[in-house]
Amino acid sequence: MSAPTAAPAHPAAADHAHGESKFQIYIEIAMILAVITGIEIVAVYLPFAKWLLVSALVVLSAVKFLFVIFYFMHLRWDKPFCTILFFIGLVLAGGTMWALIALFQAEASLPLPT
Amino acid sequence: MSSHAATLDHHHDPTTSTGIPNKKLLMWAFLASDCMFFGALISTHLIYRLHPPAGGLDPKVVFSPELTSFSTFILLMSSLMMALAVTAIQKGNLRSCRWSLLTTMFFGLIFLGCQVYEFSHFVHDRKMTLSNSLLGTTFYTLTGTHGCHVAIGVLWLALMYVRSFKPAPGSTLRGWFSHQVLHAVALLGLLLLLLKVTLGFVHALQTEPTVAAGLGHGLRHEALALAGALLTLGACWWFARPRGPVEFDERHAIDVESMGLYWHFVDIVWIVIFTAVYLLEYL
Repeated sequence: MSAPTAAPAHPAAADHAHGESKFQIYIEIAMILAVITGIEIVAVYLPFAKWLLVSALVVLSAVKFLFVIFYFMHLRWDKPFCTILFFIGLVLAGGTMWALIALFQAEASLPLPT
Repeated sequence: MSSHAATLDHHHDPTTSTGIPNKKLLMWAFLASDCMFFGALISTHLIYRLHPPAGGLDPKVVFSPELTSFSTFILLMSSLMMALAVTAIQKGNLRSCRWSLLTTMFFGLIFLGCQVYEFSHFVHDRKMTLSNSLLGTTFYTLTGTHGCHVAIGVLWLALMYVRSFKPAPGSTLRGWFSHQVLHAVALLGLLLLLLKVTLGFVHALQTEPTVAAGLGHGLRHEALALAGALLTLGACWWFARPRGPVEFDERHAIDVESMGLYWHFVDIVWIVIFTAVYLLEYL
């Protein structure tokens, strides 16, 4: 186990400004996430084509997802290895989901009529 | 802020071979594996929704978009408070960190309360149980697993909050361990009793014709739980009073950050569930 250790000294004022800017970023991100959630809820009742709404919902969810992992989970400021490690799991999960859904869409896998 | 808060680099650790604190690396590896776990559950639900059995339940009739939207908003705000807790402890602001942890816990509890209410409503009013339909089986398994993750997160938050009161080494405070255990018991008792009281009042307000009658009914039935909640609230306040220097400071920011990663992960899983399980049904 390792604890964070002293790094080359940063000026205290710069650190304070960094902390302040992070606070502001978090508040802004939270507001953006709330607005996107509101748009998603309204979007499902709009009279647009289904493919368009599904695409919009997927994109909006992906934007929320990326905002949370890169800002709230600090991936933006951490070493790239953390991003790579997490995306390995994410790509495997996404690939499994895609494969399963594609497999079950084949005619041979449809449930037999009872 | 303490004097050496500005000299700590919370994103890099030169003592490890990767330059990443080991606790953070462990948490990212765990979250990557948890992605696959939830991926399997979400795809199972989607497959059954794409091939619904004849005569099955209609999710549009069962689901309640207002309640789910509210709990989604609450979980997003809990993520904000968790991020603020991490920033606070990184700057050595223990008081702000504690308040942010408490608020995150409170929001997590509201989310759990919404889920308990939703499940109860689905089982008793909409007649959707775990075993009477494919929709119920996949829905309860997926959202229930997510709820368990939230509950574990709330427990972890409570233990981290209590840990922040551990006295500094060399302190003369005797019996600090039993003190900490009692503090944790009081806090968890308070959370459970608050959940019970809130759900009891919601049930009473729904069953009675007027608000006044509902409040009266709730007070009569939840009087004991309400008294217990007030008692444990007092105990929590008493345990949290200042008792001298504490061990918890910006050097422990990595512990709060690792816990924060877990909490944010629970949030991003819900972002996917909210769209895939709830919103897509309304198209």
